[in-house]
Amino acid sequence: MKRENAQALLRAYARFFAASFRANLRSAMEYRTNFLIQVFGMMINNAAFVVFWSFLFAKTGALGGYRFQDVMFLWALSSSAFGLSNVLFGNARQLSELVRQGDLDVYLLQPKDVLVNALTSKTIVSAWGDFAYGFVVLAFLGFDPPHWIMFALFVVSGALVFTGVFVISESLSFFLGSSAGITGAATEFILSFSLYPEGIFPSGMRWVFYSLVPSGFIVFLPLRVFRSWSPGLAALVLAVSLAYAFLAAGIFRAGLKRYESGNRIGARD
Amino acid sequence: MNWLTAKRRKYGSSAEVAIRNRWAYPGDFLGLVITYGLFVFVFSRIWIAAYSGRAEIVGYDRSMATWYFIVAELVVFSSGNHFWSFAREIRDGQVAYSLGRPYGFLAYQYAQKMGLALTQWVPFAAIGGLIGTAMAGPLRFSAAQLPVFVLSFLLAASLQYLIQACLAMTAFWLEENSAFYWIYSKISLVLGTLMPLEFLPLPLMRATLFTPFPYVTYVPARIAVAWEPGRAWALVGGQVAWTVAVGLLAAAIFSRGVRKTTIHGG
Repeated sequence: MKRENAQALLRAYARFFAASFRANLRSAMEYRTNFLIQVFGMMINNAAFVVFWSFLFAKTGALGGYRFQDVMFLWALSSSAFGLSNVLFGNARQLSELVRQGDLDVYLLQPKDVLVNALTSKTIVSAWGDFAYGFVVLAFLGFDPPHWIMFALFVVSGALVFTGVFVISESLSFFLGSSAGITGAATEFILSFSLYPEGIFPSGMRWVFYSLVPSGFIVFLPLRVFRSWSPGLAALVLAVSLAYAFLAAGIFRAGLKRYESGNRIGARD
Repeated sequence: MNWLTAKRRKYGSSAEVAIRNRWAYPGDFLGLVITYGLFVFVFSRIWIAAYSGRAEIVGYDRSMATWYFIVAELVVFSSGNHFWSFAREIRDGQVAYSLGRPYGFLAYQYAQKMGLALTQWVPFAAIGGLIGTAMAGPLRFSAAQLPVFVLSFLLAASLQYLIQACLAMTAFWLEENSAFYWIYSKISLVLGTLMPLEFLPLPLMRATLFTPFPYVTYVPARIAVAWEPGRAWALVGGQVAWTVAVGLLAAAIFSRGVRKTTIHGG
């Protein structure tokens, strides 16, 4: 009986998730020209660094044990994972603003889980460009189908870690009031450290990549699996990404107990 | 003379208002300074890895490459990206509000943006200087460089403003013009910001010198890290030429664009 209930709940959330996604997509496509400009603009943005890296590698050879293809893999995986996080959970980096403005009231009154409901109620248009960019790069790098499947799996796990980090840093606003400085820095740190070779950083600070700024689980460990298949390492990456997601949900729920309603009348976007 | 004093007071006040607005919320600014510091740290590490086992690449040693990045990004971060607020003022119709006032729209915007740039560079330079000194040793800089560098920095900030103003003013004709800024900012990043022009293939480097991009970041950064008086003055001459050319273009775009403005009153 319990298993049937759990399955029904999962189905209900899957339907809710799909409905939110459809609504967000329709909303983003409402202004089609703007959508296309933002998507291609973001892809150009990311592609500029391909030029930088190709010129640099032409002068230096390998950097910190990474070749050009390895750095492109970091960019591809980070972009797609970051993109997926912002496409599906577009409010992840707006939570502190919702808390500060008292805008969580709308979600508290609805029957679905507050965090899932709030996160999925928005999509970031430019993130579609980030998401697509990784797959375009992968196509240029020329991998076989098993590597494409692996890449897709790591995009999902990376998106979970990105979302987890955003939710954790944004949830600090429940405890600190305004956490804009911390959340902005958290985003910059996790993005910056995920886009550059792990080997360029001093060994003494690499523990940070597997704890506070978990770029290791977003890109560095997946790259190792990509270079040489290791089921144990792949399972570790997936397990840790789920752990980050649950940790983020736990911290958000703990914070929610301290939430004070803004008594605002509003509607879901 | 009275005319000049009045102008100076008028645009000086515009700059002062912008500065007061910015520093009323120092927390908002902190995020930018942290981001700049993070980029400086990451690129310092990249250059450490790149120079492992070699003393120089295309005439730059590690210290020069590190400080080059610090100065080039200092121009970008401290003189800011004006495109968004500029384009918004045109799209929202705020430009119409300024037409009836006793100041020129372009000069008023310039005074505001430059006023900000002149105060913003201090915290950026402080954090960049600290990280740069810790990672690559102090910047080798002589007193003779200072006036040329300051002039070059001011011209770079002005040119950056004028280029962004030209791009933003396409909002007179286009509802959505952000693509121009995306493309400009990325080309500018590759052509002289992230690394010195000398790292580019030679034909591309030569071609780049005929575009305005290197005169925004490459010239002040190059003058700061590699002092060759003759070349420095030639590069500053290029900056002056581009600043005048883009300034005239901006004035022409504004005078045509402003005819498209419709004032509804109210």
